[in-house]
Amino acid sequence: MAGAAQASSRPRYGGTARIVLHDRVSNLDPTAEEDHPAARDRLASLLFETLALVDDQGRLRPGLASSWSLDESKRVWQFHLRLARFHDGSQVTAVDVAASLSRAGIPWKCTPSDRQTVTVEAASPAPHVPETLAMEKFAIVKRQPDGTMLGTGPYKLNEWQPGERALLVENEDHWDGRAYPDAIEVQMGASLRERLLERQLGPYAAAELTLDQLRSLDPASQGVMVSHPADLLVVLFLQADNAVAGKPGKKPVDPRVREALANSLDRATISNALLQRKSAPATGLLPQWLTGYEFLLPNLSDRANARKLAANAGPGAPSAPLALAYDFSDPIAKLVAERIGVDAGQVGITVRAYGDAHVNTKTGQASVTADAVLLRLPLRSLEPAVALAALAGDLGLDPEHSPASLNAARPEELFEVERKMLENFRVIPVAHVSQAVWLNGSTHNWQQLPNGVWGLNQLWVEGARSSVP
Amino acid sequence: MSLKAKLLLLVALSIAGSVAAVTWLIETRTHQTFREIEQDRTAVLVHQFQRELDREGQEITRGVDTIANSDSMLRTVINLHNGADYNSHVDEAAGYATAQRLDFLDLIAPDGAIISSAHWPARFGLKQHWFLESPPPIPQQAFLKHVETPQGNVLALLCVRPLHTYGVNYYLIGGRKLEPVMQGLTLPEGLQFSIYSAPEQGQGEILGAKGSVPSANLMPLIQQAIDRHGEASATIEWGPDLPQEQIVHAIALPGYSDHVPAVMLVANSLGQETALEKRIAKVSLIIAGLGVLFGIIGGGFVAARISRPVKKLAQAATRIGEGDWDVRVEPGSQDEIGKLATAFNRMTLELISQRERLVQSERVAAWRELARRLAHELKNPLFPLQITVENMMRARQNTPQQFDEVFRESTATLLAEITNLKTIVGRFSDFSKMPAPELQEVNLDELIRGVAQLFQSQLTSRPAPIELELRLGDIPPVNGDPVLLRRVVENLVLNAVDAMPKGGKLTFSTELNHKFAVFELSDTGTGLTQEECARLFTPYYTTKQHGTGLGLAIVQSVVSDHGGQISVSSAKNFGTTFHVELPLWEGSREGKSNGLGAGVE
Repeated sequence: MAGAAQASSRPRYGGTARIVLHDRVSNLDPTAEEDHPAARDRLASLLFETLALVDDQGRLRPGLASSWSLDESKRVWQFHLRLARFHDGSQVTAVDVAASLSRAGIPWKCTPSDRQTVTVEAASPAPHVPETLAMEKFAIVKRQPDGTMLGTGPYKLNEWQPGERALLVENEDHWDGRAYPDAIEVQMGASLRERLLERQLGPYAAAELTLDQLRSLDPASQGVMVSHPADLLVVLFLQADNAVAGKPGKKPVDPRVREALANSLDRATISNALLQRKSAPATGLLPQWLTGYEFLLPNLSDRANARKLAANAGPGAPSAPLALAYDFSDPIAKLVAERIGVDAGQVGITVRAYGDAHVNTKTGQASVTADAVLLRLPLRSLEPAVALAALAGDLGLDPEHSPASLNAARPEELFEVERKMLENFRVIPVAHVSQAVWLNGSTHNWQQLPNGVWGLNQLWVEGARSSVP
Repeated sequence: MSLKAKLLLLVALSIAGSVAAVTWLIETRTHQTFREIEQDRTAVLVHQFQRELDREGQEITRGVDTIANSDSMLRTVINLHNGADYNSHVDEAAGYATAQRLDFLDLIAPDGAIISSAHWPARFGLKQHWFLESPPPIPQQAFLKHVETPQGNVLALLCVRPLHTYGVNYYLIGGRKLEPVMQGLTLPEGLQFSIYSAPEQGQGEILGAKGSVPSANLMPLIQQAIDRHGEASATIEWGPDLPQEQIVHAIALPGYSDHVPAVMLVANSLGQETALEKRIAKVSLIIAGLGVLFGIIGGGFVAARISRPVKKLAQAATRIGEGDWDVRVEPGSQDEIGKLATAFNRMTLELISQRERLVQSERVAAWRELARRLAHELKNPLFPLQITVENMMRARQNTPQQFDEVFRESTATLLAEITNLKTIVGRFSDFSKMPAPELQEVNLDELIRGVAQLFQSQLTSRPAPIELELRLGDIPPVNGDPVLLRRVVENLVLNAVDAMPKGGKLTFSTELNHKFAVFELSDTGTGLTQEECARLFTPYYTTKQHGTGLGLAIVQSVVSDHGGQISVSSAKNFGTTFHVELPLWEGSREGKSNGLGAGVE
């Protein structure tokens, strides 16, 4: 989706763009675990840049790397760095880049070839290295001995109150020139109740909206920008079937119960009624609009089969209630989790849904007592193979799934990888959910990629002190 | 138990019984009063709750009616009827519910599908049939029913309103939770109020109870109320954790259908009643204790006055029993006790008079018996004397030549009979002149052994021999006259020999029995009847042809003069045993008692 807000006049420098984030971000480190990684990436992308970028058409564009090349074996990639500087004025070198990528857990060998060239070498042909490195997780970060992080982004961090507020000021030395606004002020978790009642954003340039907030606005007339249904709402059973990999102390849920639950879900009602058509029923992990093959995955909605499966499950199941944890700060997750409980009850499975603060991180998942969690996972890349690998990592599935998807050169191979990821019903896709942002009329050039990632490079706000020369 | 003790016990029991009766009466009346108060309090609380329930129901009905009659709801329903997508109305109910302060609100399609649910939006599309399946009309008033929520079943007060649109009915079901109604009640002290929520499926629970109430104790009562569709009451003992007793009323509350959705529980503490009853019991105990104490003191005084003359009477009777016929009792008063003393004295005089008459008659009888015996004894020798004299006279007259020979024979006979008469007279003389025993130390074993030796040869050489057996116990000496005692033993032996004409066995035995030496002589003779045993020691009584009847009387007299006693036991055809007890010689008795003492030590 292209930027919706059209410039009513020529861009102007200056001003402060005040943005409201629904979620609270506690850590800006792109490699750290975070309860709300999509919100964190939105902030982090203003401070830290990746070697490659993806435009609103999903095409690769040079980022910190001005160009890259692949050798004939299709295993070795060379990235040529542009002359860029970190926020402390130091120049970006291949050593900095290699260190940052290695720390971020890049799945390939990364070494500096010369001062401005980084070599990424895979064991087998790796067609999606640039798309992978375009993910915010692999943004280039220079870590100071005192623990502070330096980036190369168009904004520098000026003030930081974790979970509350961030003030970013423009980076004069940015390799692509300075940003239009003097600063971006981000407020996290601020209430929009009064704004929504007045249907006026007031002092804010933009606000992230949840789908239930979106209902009170007329998307056509209120400057609301809605992404493709990209985020994945998915039920993840925490305990793997093999006890070693699973969480100790809790038994894996009977696969028949999992399959019954998958078949019990009324995904159409969830997407159309509860999520007000701002989502799409999910039968796969990746959305249809991205892969084109999701419709080939089995459409699990067979309640008669679900009842049979639940009835045939082992002793104790399904009469023992399944505990389903969801992010208590996400009203959509609560609504969908309750609906899952209602649907499961129709086939004889009792699901007890409850809110928890840290279901989105692996550390949090290790501490919850639930049988399953309802996750909302962002679509991290517009390249299906990379996005699937990222989802496999987020879901903590078998380690071979990520390399397999990254190595998939053809859609058929990717389809097979995804099918395998779903075949034991440990992961039950529920819906692909859109993201929405409410823009003030004075905000211009706000870009949003199809997966909901913001592009604020060309952002400017009215009321600035001067126009572009 | 003495009369005085009995009187005191009677007084104490009477006082204690009276206090117990009064206590029981007070406690019964107290119990009734508390029950009446408890019933009044319960009725007031039930009325209060019913009023609150009605008021809340009216508010809910008003709220749902307001929504149902609003233009916006009418537009919504018309839109839905005209084919509007249900999906776009999924949030419709929430706003209405907030405006009317309803906890629950569902907008439902004609087929029962939930279009919008304020309290559980996720139930969109699910079918609700319970109100469609019930026979019309739909009640206008609010009613109790359980509402499904994500947290489980919640007891609620609901109201159903149909929304008529072009011939079809959409429905609004709105309501509020019941718990706030309960919390609004003003409870008197000691009264507890709660509701047992009984959903159609799943476990019931008690709402609004303060503290942990073990519902297991209440379940039978609750079930009783549900089965009756009415009221049930019981006294509940909560156990060690909640020691207080309560009387609990369970009242079934009607719902939308026959199913009882809830049971009202009113618990009235019996603490005050129990405390009062304990105090009454405590005070009663004190009163009873004091009453018994004063009763014993007063009763003791009265009993002493009553029992003293009775005691004197008893003592006098005892002395009379001991032979003191001169004792008299002072009447003392004119009451029944005095009359009793007078009667006692009169009775004593009468007894003395009767005894004297009895002695007189016995004396006469004895003389008569003596005369009869004397006549009998003397008649026997007199008859031969008469015959002999007449024979001499006839011989002198008829056969003078043989007279000398007859004279010689007759004089010999006369002399023999006269000797016989002398013997008889001598015996009577001896009996009347029984000498007083000259007491000395007598070895009874030696004495018996001597008598046995004397008779040994005579008895064993008879045609029907009698065997003698000695079982002498080496007893200490007795206090007696050896001559008289020898006479006793010889008399008993002769008596036994007469009882064994066909021979047998005569057994002598001695043993020590406390302060007496016991001598027993057993034969294997014909034995005696009970009557014979009873009369055996009577003077002049004999079972033998030629006995005087004085032998055993003399024996008894001698034994009695020695301070001992004699008895006989016998069975017909199984022999007779004479049992003689004689006091021990003083010296030997002291020695024996000393020895016994030493032995004991």
